Amino acid sequence: MRDLAPPQGDYIGILAEPSGFSRIRANTWTRFIARRLLNLVVVLTVLLLCDFLILRLIPGDPAEIAAGTSGAQEQVQAIRHELGLDLPLQAQLVNYCVNLLHGNLGHSFTTNQPVTEIIAQRVGPSVQLAGLSLALVLIVGIPAGMIMGALTREDRRRRLELSFTTTTSLLSALPEYFVATFLAFIFGLVLRWLPVAGSSDLSGLVLPTAAIALRPIAVLARIVRVETLNVLAQDYVRTARSKRLKPRVIYLRHVLPNVVTAALTIGGILFAQLIGGAIVIENVFARNGLGTTLVTAVLNRDYPVIQGVILVLGVIVVVVNALIDVVLAVVDPRSRTRLT
Amino acid sequence: MLKALLRSPTGPISLIALALILVVAVIGPIFWTGRATTLNFAESALTPGPGHLLGTDDLGRDIFARILVATRSSLVLSLAATLIGAGIGIPLGAAAALMTQRLRSVALRAIDALIVFPGILIAIVIGAIIGRGAFGAALGVGIAGSFAFARVASTLTLGVGGRDYVAAARVLGISRRRILVKYVLTNIADTLAIAATVSISSNIIQVSALSFLGLGVQAPQYDWGGLLTQGVKSFYFNPAAALGPVVAIALTSLTFGLFGEALARAFNPLLWARQGGDGAKRMVSEKTSPSPDSSGSHPASGINKGGSANAVLDVSELTVTFPGQRRVVNDVSFKVEKGEILGIVGESGSGKTMTAMALASLVPYPGKVDGVIRLQGTDMNHVPLRDIDRLLGTKIALIFQDPLASLNPALRIGIQLTEGAETHLNLKHAEALGLAVDRLREVNLPSAERLLNRYPHELSGGMRQRVMIAMGLMSERALLIADEPTTALDVTTQAQIIELLARVNEVHGTAIILITHNLGLVTQICDRVLVMYAGRIVEELSTQQLIDRPLHPYTLALRAAIPDMTQSVAEPLETIPGQAPSPEAIPPGCPYHPRCPLAVDRCRSEVPPLLAREDGRRVACWVANQDLQ
Repeated sequence: MRDLAPPQGDYIGILAEPSGFSRIRANTWTRFIARRLLNLVVVLTVLLLCDFLILRLIPGDPAEIAAGTSGAQEQVQAIRHELGLDLPLQAQLVNYCVNLLHGNLGHSFTTNQPVTEIIAQRVGPSVQLAGLSLALVLIVGIPAGMIMGALTREDRRRRLELSFTTTTSLLSALPEYFVATFLAFIFGLVLRWLPVAGSSDLSGLVLPTAAIALRPIAVLARIVRVETLNVLAQDYVRTARSKRLKPRVIYLRHVLPNVVTAALTIGGILFAQLIGGAIVIENVFARNGLGTTLVTAVLNRDYPVIQGVILVLGVIVVVVNALIDVVLAVVDPRSRTRLT
Repeated sequence: MLKALLRSPTGPISLIALALILVVAVIGPIFWTGRATTLNFAESALTPGPGHLLGTDDLGRDIFARILVATRSSLVLSLAATLIGAGIGIPLGAAAALMTQRLRSVALRAIDALIVFPGILIAIVIGAIIGRGAFGAALGVGIAGSFAFARVASTLTLGVGGRDYVAAARVLGISRRRILVKYVLTNIADTLAIAATVSISSNIIQVSALSFLGLGVQAPQYDWGGLLTQGVKSFYFNPAAALGPVVAIALTSLTFGLFGEALARAFNPLLWARQGGDGAKRMVSEKTSPSPDSSGSHPASGINKGGSANAVLDVSELTVTFPGQRRVVNDVSFKVEKGEILGIVGESGSGKTMTAMALASLVPYPGKVDGVIRLQGTDMNHVPLRDIDRLLGTKIALIFQDPLASLNPALRIGIQLTEGAETHLNLKHAEALGLAVDRLREVNLPSAERLLNRYPHELSGGMRQRVMIAMGLMSERALLIADEPTTALDVTTQAQIIELLARVNEVHGTAIILITHNLGLVTQICDRVLVMYAGRIVEELSTQQLIDRPLHPYTLALRAAIPDMTQSVAEPLETIPGQAPSPEAIPPGCPYHPRCPLAVDRCRSEVPPLLAREDGRRVACWVANQDLQ
């Protein structure tokens, strides 16, 4: 093939430099990571500060709470000294940070067990539950939304669309504990297929996972369907169709990445829903996790445990959100340069 | 406003349900407190039965009555939480949006970080600080929800803040607080009302969850969440005691959610209108009468049949119909010879793009295509289904108006170039890549190898359109359809793309259909021109004839509307009076007659046929064709 014309015109800008492209790309990645890290540091600092302040904001004297109702004055004084509450606020903050770096989150007011130990015992089941729910949400929500989008594209199948939107808006209005109660009623009491509470093996995970995942699935499927419709209406899908590719290729290669991008942008909020759901659901099914630990601690005014659990959950939320941003940057090259 | 609310699908139902809930909240504690609080150990822990719809609790209190009574406390707590959330969040968000650039981005980022925190976690922490109880629960849920309010308020304020009247107020030196109250809040009030309703819906769930966990309303007071806790304890024995409060919570939450949605629709009907893409896809009511002209124009197609063997494309009686008898393309017949560049011109809605889509078999659902399309002599109606994709995918290439929108933002240029060839020409990926590099060079894109790894957004507009053309060259095409290929580009780039198209045509002998509303472009490179109006061809003529002497009054008007360099700047630009008809309302007779200065009676009743004239052109006009009858 002979060249048609001498090079001319509009590509002079970035193409003129031989290595222009790679330099720009490396740059955007570095800047993206730097910005992201800075953001992470700021948010974590704020989280630490808030966590630190919990013990200092409560009305009344934590030392008296720790000593219990029978505590003598000297005992309260001793506890206050032990907790470092007799120091100035800045010194308390420094102590808090130093202890944190040593992996020391204090001791439970009620059991005197180290908080790190309590958390270490309880974090496993919670992560298992939240992880399973997250997997379920992604595995069901995205394909369901995409298939619905494909079936109802360009105003096809109006009745199917109506029943889908009605069902999902109903499901997304149902609180986790409602779903949990209902599922327990049907599968635990009426059908007697699954244990309702107290079981720690895999069958005991089915109902809690389903209860947590149902609402986020409905929300995600709805959003993915609308996003699929949006993507299908894009010019680049028309271009793909004009190439006469197989429908499978059009949907998986051209539509899916763009839909996933949109789904990921609400990933943070969905994950928050999952964590919140897990806290409540652990209590419904009497599972030993961070959620039950937290609620018990609040009821007992066991502040070191509250602080510890909040910190761990907070860090998980922050880190997961940062990871979502990174995944988004990999999937959607444009989001790297977007300034937010 | 109320009317709009009642008209929306969820409006009436949610209004009635809302009224019911409010009535129960008001009268519940008055009527049922007795039943709900009287201890009766003779009737303790009953299962549902006569007298006790949902059974009784351990102390013999009627559970259904307790649920009715608890309506008030649950609702009041949720409303209080919403008020707290709105009271904190809206001023915060609006203020954040009105800050200086730097502070604003920090504030908005903080809101974004807080919004992804689980609300229940924030509520638990605040409850833990304040102490458990109704106030702690309302405050906790309120603060947790305030970030959503802040986000909505900041987004809205940014939107309003950018508008001219706010800018004007700023220039006039009106204080920030006054701008906030007078200009911003009044303009975002409706959306905030919707946000508040939706917030109540979710706060009912959150407050109940806190009570359910024992962190909210404390005994002997109770709300739905507290009732649920008790119900769950006796779940095996009396599931109704748990299901009852749960249903109450869910239904109330749902009611507020639906009401919010109905409000949103009522406030902003446009936003909620069905998204159906461009006008062609939108459904129209069936009342449009069938077009009276379906039989009027056959003589024209006769002369076009049996054409020369050289024709790359031979279209006859092409019609594209959408539901409601809307013919966006009406009885269109034409040919494209090998190596020819054919222009199709007309205003928006004239059917030129839909004609192209029909040729490529890309007419959007539910459009229906009739007529015969012969591609290099092959009647497309008779090609087996499994061969159609290969034929269209290798013989016809399309180039669209906006090259950025036409390239997939998530895929590298390389794969977008090669996938067609790999599918239809059975090329290996490496071979297809090699071919792609050749083609990119051919369209004057150097560093082609590196370009393959780029994403569309990393390229300039002109480069993207070159990539589209290179994509079209990936196989030996018979026909390239370019739909407004230069409209989205700047003037210098436009000229380069047009030159490139001309060269492709010259070197490969690829026939080109150039769809445009730019007659100047047509006179530059086209051999022949079809002028379309209201879905029909009104004139077909050579470029020279277009320049010298168009016959159809519409073509004349189009040509007169092109400004040229000899025209004085002081003179007003020539325009065509009136508007092109929409496909739903094509006038009877000649569709152009309402705008035509030459129209005679016949034009108003009969559709003029497209007749061939001695000089090789075809015209559909009673006046211009007077000599032929």
